[in-house]
Amino acid sequence: MLKNTYLKSDISFISSPRRVKRYPLTKKHKISLSEEELVLALTKREKVAVEALYDMYSSSLFGVISRIVIDTPVAEDVLQETFVKIWHSFSSYSTEKGRLFTWMVNIARNLAIDKIRSKDFKNQTKNRELENNVTFIDEQRNTVYKPELLGIKELVGTLKPEQKSIIDLVYFKGYTHVEAAEELGIPLGTIKTRLRMAIQLLRKHFN
Amino acid sequence: METGILELYVLGDITPDERLQVEEMMSKHERIRTEVAEIERAMELYAGTNAINPSTNQRDKNLNSLLTNFADDSTFATKKPVVKDNVIMMPVAPTTNNFYKYAFAASVTLLIGSLVALYNMHNQLQESNTQLAVLSSQNQQISKAVSFKDQQLINKDDQLQRFNAQLAGSSAQIGKMIGFKDKQLGIFKDTSYKLIRLKPTGKVPSANMTVAWSPAKKKVIIAMAALYMPKNDREHQYQLWALVGGKPVDLGVFDKTASDTADMKEMKPIGSADAFAVTLEPRGGSVNPTMSELMVLGK
Repeated sequence: MLKNTYLKSDISFISSPRRVKRYPLTKKHKISLSEEELVLALTKREKVAVEALYDMYSSSLFGVISRIVIDTPVAEDVLQETFVKIWHSFSSYSTEKGRLFTWMVNIARNLAIDKIRSKDFKNQTKNRELENNVTFIDEQRNTVYKPELLGIKELVGTLKPEQKSIIDLVYFKGYTHVEAAEELGIPLGTIKTRLRMAIQLLRKHFN
Repeated sequence: METGILELYVLGDITPDERLQVEEMMSKHERIRTEVAEIERAMELYAGTNAINPSTNQRDKNLNSLLTNFADDSTFATKKPVVKDNVIMMPVAPTTNNFYKYAFAASVTLLIGSLVALYNMHNQLQESNTQLAVLSSQNQQISKAVSFKDQQLINKDDQLQRFNAQLAGSSAQIGKMIGFKDKQLGIFKDTSYKLIRLKPTGKVPSANMTVAWSPAKKKVIIAMAALYMPKNDREHQYQLWALVGGKPVDLGVFDKTASDTADMKEMKPIGSADAFAVTLEPRGGSVNPTMSELMVLGK
């Protein structure tokens, strides 16, 4: 509590009323901008952009990160690293290369994969109790359906299970389609076809 | 487009080269741009259906981490000089201290390293010297062997020269012999020569010899090959006499030796003679023949 108060006063000091409009950190409602406005604000490095960025994308990015990093506190660290990286390397993003989210989800996925491959993380997993180990490894390796993570009731029926498992492996877990083919024991050509079909179905579904 | 490369582009599962290709196509073709945008939108919405809200305290934590950085960016200029002074003033003393500390540590490390290197170099040098000594002794052995071979070669050369000399000598002898044979042949061919066979007088019954005499050319030649006489000793020599009008005329001395059997010996010239005789006389010959030592006689 003490820390929070200190930080709050610190921030309000930085954003003096003369320079930038005041945005209290503990807001009741979330900020939302159009993608163009957000990109512009981020380019100008405005404070409002940071909040809008978090409010608009934190849950989607955290969804992806949580599929790779199961341990919630660690996943939260990765989320923070992701936002720091987005903020610092924003100059390397260009609208010509695609949507902002596509760029950000790549950063999040890569950081999450780096984390589970890092030495720290491996040491940490070694310290886990043996009985938990089996389920943990299962969670790491397989595409276990976790209804609490998915929230896709409306999608049931749109994607066939085999299409869904491929798209989840590649999009959420950061497998290459070659690795996915090995994991699922399916020929590479089939993987590519199913991936394309699945995305076309999603396009139809969201239109 | 049908290959699914645009989907892989959006999923981030693409090589850097392919990525550049897609981006180039996107910049050129509106249709591809639209296609990619639709795929991206679908994936973004799909991610939205899988979204998980981080716990509410995460929002402050995240924003603070970004906004702390926000302050580091040159967003508030008025505070800058103060911060700058503080930042620069504080570390001055420790860095100098640290510098000398590290410099000293580095020097010591360097010194130890140098000593180790020196020691190693010394060892290597000694090793090299030993090797050099071994090599030079080998070298000496080799040069000894070479000079020995040289000596052998010189010896061979000498032998060869000697052999050549012998050969030359032999061929000279052969030439000489051929000359003699020619001479002999000439004598035999020459019709002016008379061959006179001297016969034993009884002192040595087996003694006989042949004298070739050309009264026209006044030449007297003894064929040593046909000289069947006992060997004379060192104090004595055989002396050839011509009897001219009952008086002996000295025609010179000769030896009977084993070696020069092939030779022909030309004696003193004489134009006329009744007979030829040989006596054994003291070495160098006598003025008058010792008749008791008459060996052979012939006309």
